[in-house]
Amino acid sequence: MTGTPRVVVILLVEDDAGDVLLLREALADARVVNDLHVLGDGEKAMAFLRRLPPYENAPRPDLVLLDLNLPRKNGHEVLQEMKADPELRAIPVVILTTSDSEADIALAYEHYANSYVTKKSNLDEFLDLVRKLDEFWLQIVRLPPPGGAAPPKKGLP
Amino acid sequence: MSAPGAGTASSDFERFTRATVNLLEDAAAEKSRLEGALRAAFNILEDFAEEKRRLEDNQRAVLNILEDAARERLTLEDSQKAALNILEDAAVEKGRLEEMQRALLNILDDVDVQRASVERTNRILSEEVERRWRTEGELKAHAEALARSNAELEQFAYVASHDLQEPLRKIQSYCQLLERRYKDELDERGKTYINFVVDGSERMQNLVRDLLAFARVRSAAKPLQPTDAGASLQEALGYLETPIQEADAEVRAAPLPLVNADPSQMTQVFQNLISNAIKFRRPDAKPVIDVRAHLEGHLWHFVVRDNGIGIEPAHLERVFVIFQRLHGRGEYPGTGIGLAICKRVIERFGGRIWVESTPGEGSAFHFTVPALKEEGA
Repeated sequence: MTGTPRVVVILLVEDDAGDVLLLREALADARVVNDLHVLGDGEKAMAFLRRLPPYENAPRPDLVLLDLNLPRKNGHEVLQEMKADPELRAIPVVILTTSDSEADIALAYEHYANSYVTKKSNLDEFLDLVRKLDEFWLQIVRLPPPGGAAPPKKGLP
Repeated sequence: MSAPGAGTASSDFERFTRATVNLLEDAAAEKSRLEGALRAAFNILEDFAEEKRRLEDNQRAVLNILEDAARERLTLEDSQKAALNILEDAAVEKGRLEEMQRALLNILDDVDVQRASVERTNRILSEEVERRWRTEGELKAHAEALARSNAELEQFAYVASHDLQEPLRKIQSYCQLLERRYKDELDERGKTYINFVVDGSERMQNLVRDLLAFARVRSAAKPLQPTDAGASLQEALGYLETPIQEADAEVRAAPLPLVNADPSQMTQVFQNLISNAIKFRRPDAKPVIDVRAHLEGHLWHFVVRDNGIGIEPAHLERVFVIFQRLHGRGEYPGTGIGLAICKRVIERFGGRIWVESTPGEGSAFHFTVPALKEEGA
C-alpha cells in the first residue's frame, strides 16, 4: 500500500435519490477519491455497519454522512445505535440534512454526532460545502486507524 | 221700825245707819254687780280678743290658703303649662311617630319591592354565574384549543419550512447542475429557460421562508417582557452592517426606552424598517435614517424616518399587507413581507403602526409600544 493513497470509504445514509446524486456530483466535483456506499434507510445502514447479511463483506466506513429523515429507522436512531456500540462509535458521523431546527441540532450533538451540516439549496454552495467537508474530514482531520476492519478495498475514483 | 215716841234721835241714827248700810250694801251689791259686769265685760273682751285672734288666725290661715292656693294656682298654672307643653310635645312626638310609622310603612313597601327586585337580581345573578361558569369552561376549552392550534401551527410551520423547501432545493440544484453539465449543449434560450426555473424556485423558497417567519410571529412568540429598545436597535444594525456599509447609510438614534415587548421581535421590527429604508433609498441622496421615541400616555411612540423614495398616499395602508409590493420584482428585491411582519409584531405587543410619507422626499414609519407597567400617565 505504499505510495497509494488510501481510498476513503464513505457511507452515505440517504433515501432521496436526488440528494444522493447531488452528493455524488459534488464529490466528483471536489475530486474526492472515495468509495461511496449508499443506503436508503436506517435498518439497512445498521446491517451494513454490523456486516449482517446481506452485507457480510461490507467495508468499515471511514466516515458516515447521515441524513435525519429516513424511513424505518431515522438518522437520530442510527446515530444513537452507532455511538452506543463499542465497535462502531469511533467512526465519525457527519449529520447531513436539510433540517436547521435547533431541536434537531441539539439532539444530534447530545447523541455524540461529530458534526452537523445543513444542505444548501444553491448548487454552488452545496459543491463548496462538500469540498469543505472533504478538506476537513478527509484531509485535515486524522481519522481513526482502520483496526479490526476488513482490509480497505481499492476503490474507483 | 220706829216706835212712836221712843227716842227719835236713836232711831234716826239707826235709820241712817241702816240706810247707809243699805246703801253700802246696795253699793257693794252694785259694785259687785259692776265688778261682775266688768268681769263679764272683761270676759267678753277676752272672748272677743280670743275671737279676734281666732279670726285673725283664720284670716291668716285663709290668707295662707289663699297664698298656697295662689302658689298652687301658679304651680298649677305651671303644671298646667308644663302639662300643656308636654301635651304639645306629645302631640309633636305623636306627629313624628306617625311620620316614622308612615315612613316605616313606606320602607316596608319599598322593602317588599326591593325584595322582589333582589330576588329577581338573584335569579339573574345565578343565571349569570352559570353563564360565567359555562363561559369559563368555554374559555378554557378555547384556550386549550388555541394552544393546540398553536402547536399545530408550529408543526405546520416546520413542515412548510422543511418539506416544502425540499423539492425547491432539488429544482434549484438540478437546474444549476444541468446548466453546468450541459452548458455547451444549451443554446441561449435553453439557458434562459433554466434561469427562469431557478429564479422561480428561489423566489418560492423565499416566500415559504417568509410565510414561516410571518406565522412564527405568533406561534413562536415569547411572553412580553421588559425590553431595551435601544439594544434591539443595535442588534438590528449589527445584522444590517453590510447593507449599511454598501449604501453608505447613516443611522441616527435618540436614546430609546424600555418597553413591554419581545426582544427578538423588537429587533425584527427595527431590522425590517431600516432594511427597507436602505433598500428604497433615493439614488442621488445618501440614506439618512432617524430613530427616536417619545412617551404618549402609557405608550412609547417610535418614529423611524428616512429620506428615501417615499410612498404615494394611495398606498400608505397597502404596504402593510402581506406580499403586497409597490414595485416590480426587477426594481427592488424582496417578497413584500417585511412590513406585514412588523404590523403583526406591533399589534401583538398591543400597539399600532402606520406610515406618513412624501413621495420623493422620504417616509416616516410610526409605531407604538406599551410602556412598562410603572411608567406612563
